[in-house]
Amino acid sequence: MTTQKITDSPIDFAEDIILDVKNSKEDGVLKCVQCGMCTSTCPAARHSDYNPRDIIERVLEGDMTIMEDDNIWNCFYCYTCHSVCPVGNSVCEVNQILKQFAINNGIGYDKLYEYMGFADSYFTAAIGAIPEIFFEDIRRDVPGWWEFRQNLGDIRDELELNPPLMPPEEVIDEVSTILTITGFKDRIEKIRQSQEEE
Amino acid sequence: MRDDLKVGVFLCECGGNIADVIDLDEVRDSLDVEFIGQFENLCSLNGRKIIRDAIFDHNLDRVVVAACSPISHEKTFQDYVKPLNPYLMDMANIREQCSWVHDDSERATHKAITLINASIEKVKQSDAVDPIYCQTPDEVAVIGGGIAGMNAALSLAKQGTKVTIIEQSPSIGGHMAKIGKVFSPVKIAEECGMCLLNPILNELVWNENIEVLTNAKVIESERRAGTYNLIVEQSPRYVDTEKCIACGKCAEVCEVEVPNDWNDNLSMRKAIYRPFGQSYPESYVIDMDNCSKCGDCFRTCNMRAIKLRQKPEKSLLQVGSIIVATGHKLFDMEKRPEYGYTRYADVITQSELGRITGVNGPTKGKLLKSNGEVPKRVVMIQCVGSRDEKPDGHRYCSKICCTVALKNANIIKHKYPDTDVLICYTDVRTPGMFEKYYKHTQENEVRFLRGRPGEVVKKGDNFIVRTEDTIKGEFVEIEADMVVLSTAMEPSMGTREIAETLNIGTTEDGFIKESHPKIKPVATDVQGIYVCGTAQDPKDITDSIMQATAAAAKVSEYNYGGVEIEPFIAEIDKEKCTVCGECISRCKYKSMSIQDDEIYIDPMSCTGCGKCLVDCKQRAITVNGNVDEKIVATINGVLSKKREGERMILVFLDNIGYTAADNIGVNRLSYPESIHIIKVISVNRVRPRHIRYALENGADGIFIGEFPGDLMYDEVERKIGMVKECIAEMGHNPERVTFSKVYIPYFTGLARKLTDFDNKILELNEAK
Repeated sequence: MTTQKITDSPIDFAEDIILDVKNSKEDGVLKCVQCGMCTSTCPAARHSDYNPRDIIERVLEGDMTIMEDDNIWNCFYCYTCHSVCPVGNSVCEVNQILKQFAINNGIGYDKLYEYMGFADSYFTAAIGAIPEIFFEDIRRDVPGWWEFRQNLGDIRDELELNPPLMPPEEVIDEVSTILTITGFKDRIEKIRQSQEEE
Repeated sequence: MRDDLKVGVFLCECGGNIADVIDLDEVRDSLDVEFIGQFENLCSLNGRKIIRDAIFDHNLDRVVVAACSPISHEKTFQDYVKPLNPYLMDMANIREQCSWVHDDSERATHKAITLINASIEKVKQSDAVDPIYCQTPDEVAVIGGGIAGMNAALSLAKQGTKVTIIEQSPSIGGHMAKIGKVFSPVKIAEECGMCLLNPILNELVWNENIEVLTNAKVIESERRAGTYNLIVEQSPRYVDTEKCIACGKCAEVCEVEVPNDWNDNLSMRKAIYRPFGQSYPESYVIDMDNCSKCGDCFRTCNMRAIKLRQKPEKSLLQVGSIIVATGHKLFDMEKRPEYGYTRYADVITQSELGRITGVNGPTKGKLLKSNGEVPKRVVMIQCVGSRDEKPDGHRYCSKICCTVALKNANIIKHKYPDTDVLICYTDVRTPGMFEKYYKHTQENEVRFLRGRPGEVVKKGDNFIVRTEDTIKGEFVEIEADMVVLSTAMEPSMGTREIAETLNIGTTEDGFIKESHPKIKPVATDVQGIYVCGTAQDPKDITDSIMQATAAAAKVSEYNYGGVEIEPFIAEIDKEKCTVCGECISRCKYKSMSIQDDEIYIDPMSCTGCGKCLVDCKQRAITVNGNVDEKIVATINGVLSKKREGERMILVFLDNIGYTAADNIGVNRLSYPESIHIIKVISVNRVRPRHIRYALENGADGIFIGEFPGDLMYDEVERKIGMVKECIAEMGHNPERVTFSKVYIPYFTGLARKLTDFDNKILELNEAK
């Protein structure tokens, strides 16, 4: 049994999410009636214990432990829940906000560490390229992808696609500067350090 | 001459509501009139005697009642001043707009004196005028011949009113005729819908006061003095209803087969057909869009009833009032492809399930899939298109679908106990007695799963319904061989069309809007037009019938009671009028027209706004009731009581703004004593020269409020803009004049605006 003390205010957690800059749905999260339509169409729910309805239920209960729940990292932003929600909520956005809350609280660095390659590619190429560590997996899971990837330059030439795939040096420098000034680089370093120390 | 008129002032203590704040002794001493008296409760019945006696004893010509708001008791005191003409009485509102909004006794008392003085000056300008009574013809058009329209028509016809039912389809009966079984929450049993409908239909057919027009539509409407002129277009039936004996030989020989819409297209019918067994008129009809014109039916018909050359006919129908009963349609399943309705024959709607289980349906009542087998598991999905903010969805609950699903589940269970029925719901809404029916359904072994399915896919011979069992918190895939969708109710095309034709308001969802959904049910925002049934919002048969009879009662009230109209409307001097038509095009309320080569003003739609006055080159139009003189007199009455250093702001409001202002008092909010509210019949009657006059004679500020829903709103806003420019040129500060939106419900906003404006005027005064 849990007791709700007179001083408890479970709705504050949802309020924090509503006020977050990523939230585009105004009070959507408060209108959830737990119908489960999100879960019924969620690919992550079909293949893991991720349950978008449950995410909102726990947010509305003020259950902050959700930030520590490994399941929140199973959402890959397909936005299906966002488009089917009958009350105009977006679990997908709520999920992104929760992940940010988690990171702000020092949680989930191990999850982010796997994606450091993406962050690096902004510095090396000024675009979000697929990190090389994923190549093997994609090569196995997506037939034809490797050949496509190998011949991408030729294919683009043939299609007369302009500008070239890689941005010029000065653009890469500019993006790197922006990422450094805005503190992105520091954060990346912090995450990397925390994981490599362990 | 008017200054010699003998005015009597009656002060009401209103229990202590007025006297506790306002020093009435001081008021009595401050006013110089023929008679002034103070009473505890003037509106009580002995108030009538007090007022009448004083009128006789003091030979009073005019009366001022200083009491509550005219919105509360003007009618009462108009009656109490008999034998004086009702319009020779004016009310000074010293309760809602004085004692209830101010608590400083000295200042409130001075303001009361000012308000009463304004009324005294105003009432001296009043002349005896008679209210205009309009009697509407005791003939009614009921638009739509479903269960609501039929009941409304019958109720009126039994009270002696002539009723014409205008039905768009070839038969009356509506949705109820095709439902199959209906249920009663009290009996906890399903009953034959047609058996309940038929007696009503028969009664209606035999009632001499009712005429039924089928294949008919209202295509134009115009209102003159309480009479609606409706142009009704009747499409040809191509079968003479007088001659046809509905033997059906024509349909036997007809070779054209088309989907039968009455059976939700689940069976076929001929191009010449009878909509359903009990349809009325009892006659066949030709669907000319599909007829091959082979002539077989014509040659077969012994009665020579077939008339292939019939043409559409337009006719004029004159009625005093209208009941809109144009009903609903069901949500279009093409908008939710995720449920596979358009791809799979065995994904159906509750309406189709009703046809399938109906003994007069495509399978003669047998529950069969498209392959002819009885389904092993039927999954019902609730809230399809209802409670749905996605594009094309409806935010509202369609109200009947829970109980419809329960009914159809029970019908299946009675006949096919081995078929598993599972209802996927978000909430089961079975208020009142319907809850017992819900329990009964559970006892029948119908299963319930709390979860809203996201999609239906085909896998092998079966469907997979994907949902979450939200109680278990588990994603589930349910195999089913029939899926039934509980589709939302939405306004029918006919409902949308008639709203436009009759110019009546609709809700954001497209249903016909009631003039006040809480306390004025069935009335629309147009006088004389009422609404009932699912044209107004989703509801069941019982509620439709109740609303239909309520609408009939309201029509009777209106027909027998007549309509009393305030006489302060425009009048034409026919000697001067050249019938140039300028006023017709200027009138925003469309109250003017040419009839018998003369300008005619419909007293029911004229608001007395005076827009036509300005544009009439012949100066042939006047508005009754000395409105202009009264405004000037009221301004003088207020300003003449201005004390040294006192701020005086004049606020002009019409009935709507005035009601909002009253609400400030009713809710005991406050605003400064400098605010003096003057009620005008139309804000447009406050003319630039009134504003200038007030500013030049001591007013510190002018506040004009208008309801944005008023047809004159834009006009007034534009005019105030011009007035500000104009007074700036004359050396006044245009910031002393302000224009503001007012709404009855937003009285808090109005209180704030009045306070802000007072502060601004204070600043301007201090700067000076």
